This record gives sequence, structure tokens and C-alpha cells, in this order.
Amino acid sequence: MHLNTVYITVGTTKFDALISTVSSEPALKALQSRKCTRLVIQHGNSQPLTEDEIQLIGNNYGIRIEQYKFRPNTEDIKSADLIIGHAGAGTCMDILNNQKPGLIVINDTLMDNHQLELAKQLAAENYLYYCKVTDLDAQLATLNFDALKPYETKPENLSKFVSAINQLMSH
Amino acid sequence: MTTSTPQPTYVILGSGGHTAEMCRLTQALLQQTDIDQTKKYQPIRLILANSDSTSERQFRQALPLASQEAEFVKVPRSRNVGQSWLSSIFTSLWALLWSCYLVWRDRPQLILCNGPGTCVPFCYAAYLWRLLGRLPAHSRIVFVESFCRVETLSLSGRLLLPLADLFVVHWPALATRYADKKNLRYFGRIL
Repeated sequence: MHLNTVYITVGTTKFDALISTVSSEPALKALQSRKCTRLVIQHGNSQPLTEDEIQLIGNNYGIRIEQYKFRPNTEDIKSADLIIGHAGAGTCMDILNNQKPGLIVINDTLMDNHQLELAKQLAAENYLYYCKVTDLDAQLATLNFDALKPYETKPENLSKFVSAINQLMSH
Repeated sequence: MTTSTPQPTYVILGSGGHTAEMCRLTQALLQQTDIDQTKKYQPIRLILANSDSTSERQFRQALPLASQEAEFVKVPRSRNVGQSWLSSIFTSLWALLWSCYLVWRDRPQLILCNGPGTCVPFCYAAYLWRLLGRLPAHSRIVFVESFCRVETLSLSGRLLLPLADLFVVHWPALATRYADKKNLRYFGRIL
């Protein structure tokens, strides 16, 4: 699988470690070996890359960087060959609903880490991968994204939910 | 008394992920093959926090037809992310007063919500008014826990489990843990 476009998203969180790890030498080497030519970074409240760093990455690895704080990201998700994000439910759902390969990176510094539960559960069911930020570069080099399952909705279960409400409201 | 006016369905929107999930659930409710069933849930009134600038657009995009007839109602928020506990007592009280007023005025037959803080005072208001007879005895409160709650309930969920008529969870671990709660249901993967 060629990962031409990789999308990094942190939502509204501050996740400096993710941005700095993904722009570190080992991670960039791993991305380069997977044929990544475009890295779109939604940095939210994290520290963005400097112009110099962007220039350097372009020259050394042939990876074009686009970064922004916030914007509607439907297009970014659709055009991505891999989505790397924090463990927010929104990011997990974007990965699932668009049937994209995804790697969730855990932010140890966030206090309320219940969102981890979701990433772990989805990883256990093979819909995405998750790792610690310290393992990100190693994982980027070795993970087999072809092994992930596409997420499929179950309309029949949603119908059960609707029937339950219909029944509840029949008086 | 206004018994002849149709009693609305309150759909409470949160932010981002909450709203996306709620759009799917509302869509399922409004797009049943049996049109008569669908009509029962009209009119729809969408409740959202006054600080929420994206949910209305998100909902309008997902359900353009239903949005034309629906009414969007902006209410004060109980608690903003990061707000101190002391000041959130006052904002929560204010939000509760608002909720009591709106629920008293509209007498919703169904409140459908999925976990944003905004929904808690509305459910309590509906429960209270139903006890006091302002809401019909057949009015219902449906709470869908957040999709990201795999093993533990959210704060909203813990507050609403005792009074929701139907409390939906997304993962088997929660269904097992609360197997003794008759109102708690697990339908498998619905989103």
C-alpha cells in the first residue's frame, strides 16, 4: 500500500509530541519509504512546524507539508491514504466511516483518557492501530495497513434501535 | 391548555462527534418506511448550546429536508470545557431554569439525546414535569451513551441512567456491567 498522502489530526487538543515526532528524522524516513509525498497537518492548539522545517523536509525527503490550525476537514480525510490522529472519538469515527487506514496515537498528558478505551476496542477488532507517541516512528516503519478491516455499519441493528423507540412511544 | 398542539420531539445536539452521531440516529427515526411512524416524531425541535456554532450547519447538511421544518433552539450551556466547578454550579442552575421553562412550555413527548452536558438539565426537567403532571405520562426520555464509552459510563450517562426510559450503550462490556438495569439496552453496533 502506498501512502502518498498522510493526514495528521489532533482535533482541538494540544499534542506537541505528535507533531514533533511525526516530523522527526526516523518518522520522515519511514514515511518516505512508504512513498509519502504529501503530509497534511491539522495542528489545532499544538505548536506548528516552522517555515524552515517545512523547507528542510521538502528538500531532504521530498515530502510537501501543508499545515493549518482548523478547517472543515472532509476533503483532507477523503484524500488521505493514512490518517494519524489522537484518540478522539471524532477522529476514530472519521477513520471508520471513511474506511481509511488509521493509526491512533495516545496522548499520555491528557487527563481524561477514557477515549483510549475506544481506540483499544477498535484496535482489538482490527479496524485501526494504536500506539504510544514514543513508538510512532517504529510503528510507521513496520505496520501492515493492508491487514486492517474496513468498518461496516449494521443497518439491521439501527432498525432494532428505531423499533425500540417506536414501541416505547406507542401508547 | 394546549392539548391540541402537537407535542414536539426534542433532539439535543452536542458538538462535533456527538452531533454527527445524533444526525444518524435522527435520520433513522425520520426515514422509516412506515410514514405514519415517522410523523409521530414531528415536529422536531433541535436544542443546542448557544456557544455551539457548528452543530446547526452540520445537522442541516446531514438532514436537509427535516431541517426545513425543524426549529433550532439555542440554550445556555451547563458547563464549558475547563470551567471551574464553583462557577459551573451557577451556570448549571441557569441552564436548569432554562430547561424547565422550555420543557414546561413545549411539553415534548420525546427527548432524544446522546451525552452532551446540555442534555442533562433537559432530561431532569422533563422527568420533573412528568412527575408533576405537566408532561403526559407517556412522554419518554431516550439517552444514547457516547460511542466512545466502552467500559465506563460518561458523567451525563451516570446522571441519567436512573431516569432515562431507554438508555442505549454501544459496547458489550457496558451491557454486561449494567445487566441488572432494565432500561439499559445494547443493540449491537448501531453507528
